[in-house]
Amino acid sequence: MKRYLILEDGTVFPGVGFGSSIITTGQLVVSNNRTGIEQSVTDPDSEGQIIAFTVPAIGLSGINRDFYESINSQCKGVVIGSSSSATVDGSIPFGDWIETLGIPGIKNVDVRALSKHISEHGEMKASIMDTHDEHAIDQIKALVLPPDLVKRVSTKQSYPNPNMGLKMVVVDLGLKYSILRQLSYRDCNSVIVNYNASPEEIESLHPDGIIYSNGPGDPTDLPNTIENIKVLQKKYPILGIGLGNLLIALANDCKIEPLDQPHHESSLAVKEVASGKIDFVNHNHSYTIDPKYISASDFIVTNICVADGSIEGMRHEYLPIMCVLFEPEAAPGPTDGYYVFDEFIDLIGSTKNQYGGVDRWQ
Amino acid sequence: MAKEIIDGQTMTRALTRITYEIIERNKGIDDLVLVGIKTRGVFVAHRIESRLKQLENISIPVAELDITPYRDDMTHEEIENINIPPLDIDIDKKHIILTDDVLYTGRTIRAAMDALMKFGRPKKISLAVLVDRGHRELPIRADFVGKNIPTSQKEKIRVSMKEIDGEDKIEIE
Repeated sequence: MKRYLILEDGTVFPGVGFGSSIITTGQLVVSNNRTGIEQSVTDPDSEGQIIAFTVPAIGLSGINRDFYESINSQCKGVVIGSSSSATVDGSIPFGDWIETLGIPGIKNVDVRALSKHISEHGEMKASIMDTHDEHAIDQIKALVLPPDLVKRVSTKQSYPNPNMGLKMVVVDLGLKYSILRQLSYRDCNSVIVNYNASPEEIESLHPDGIIYSNGPGDPTDLPNTIENIKVLQKKYPILGIGLGNLLIALANDCKIEPLDQPHHESSLAVKEVASGKIDFVNHNHSYTIDPKYISASDFIVTNICVADGSIEGMRHEYLPIMCVLFEPEAAPGPTDGYYVFDEFIDLIGSTKNQYGGVDRWQ
Repeated sequence: MAKEIIDGQTMTRALTRITYEIIERNKGIDDLVLVGIKTRGVFVAHRIESRLKQLENISIPVAELDITPYRDDMTHEEIENINIPPLDIDIDKKHIILTDDVLYTGRTIRAAMDALMKFGRPKKISLAVLVDRGHRELPIRADFVGKNIPTSQKEKIRVSMKEIDGEDKIEIE
């Protein structure tokens, strides 16, 4: 069945429809992920997005159904070069899998031309449709993407992830399950709360540390969460991941800016400033922190992206706050970033041991 | 038989964490001086210095302290008359961070502090070590610890560092 990928600027890419046959619209994001397609599609970061995979052929060995990052959220559509309907081990093919999820897809698209177009003109809205007349293009232009992406993916009800170790409160801004997997691996007794949970609510859980998760959308849409961070950061060790990092930056008078070339890649090099160590980690973000404001703030830059020099991690000079903009939980991608969770646990430990009886929080 | 308990990557991470902790606990690192106890303590000091420079863009002076003349088998009188080479930097009113690889009985640290007091009047002395293996014989504790490794007194801790041993690792035997 012939279908069309139509961009906001009127560019049309013809292709063949697969998966669900519904009409879909969303923010078009170009991803360089080669593997872990299952994780990209079910990542709550992908809420409201149509993901175009630049690898010419994906999902050839079938789908691993254990690789999911959320149960209820997923992307709005997928754009691929080609896939296969046969699989190596008899698992279900990519096309059948996204059909069960109700996601529309379009294949036989020239993904390299598409990727080039997006890198020249920036990220834009797009639609997968059956026609490509002017009416369709006008519709996309007029479409306003909803600003409440985090509200849609965040858990409504607090729930526990019980273990016997440190007590973590995870503020769900679009949490990937792999963050919880990493916390479980480290025996952290976690409670996951709504993105708007009040400081009193979080304090009543008596956490050892608070984690602000990754998530979709524009951080300036979340003024309440930013105000909550201002209160909580004076009382608890905090780890910010992805969107969480951007919110912490905004809560501390730093400014954020959109990246010229958004980072959507499962394996992009990041340098640890202190030691010069290079880690390959998963990135999924379109914003970065404006370096001009960092030097005036109480933060130091701890990680930078090797490709474009953008800030990928920061740490407060005297409060126990650390952040990374990349996704240390991987999924998909290499596992070099796992150490961030160990570092946060060390940070909690050193806050407890060395400051018992000393007023660290002023 | 020697068993590797810390590999190069973990050692790198421990040194980075110590650096972050030094920044966190000192508002402004302008009056810091790193003093490394020979031999491997000096390398620890240099590695912390290079990290501070990368992060804060400030060069902290690093000095080497040789306390081998202080041996346990010396008489009190001999210790009084020890001459150890003076430091090449001014430590008056400075915050000294003393660095060593292993903290064990605490006698080395005491000797180092004695020597430092001979050279000047520091504002404060802190201690950073890669490994704290316990069994102190003096009331000394480290402010910054890379890794606490509980040991028996029969065991040996061997720290290898790239600068002198070709690779980074810590072994127990």
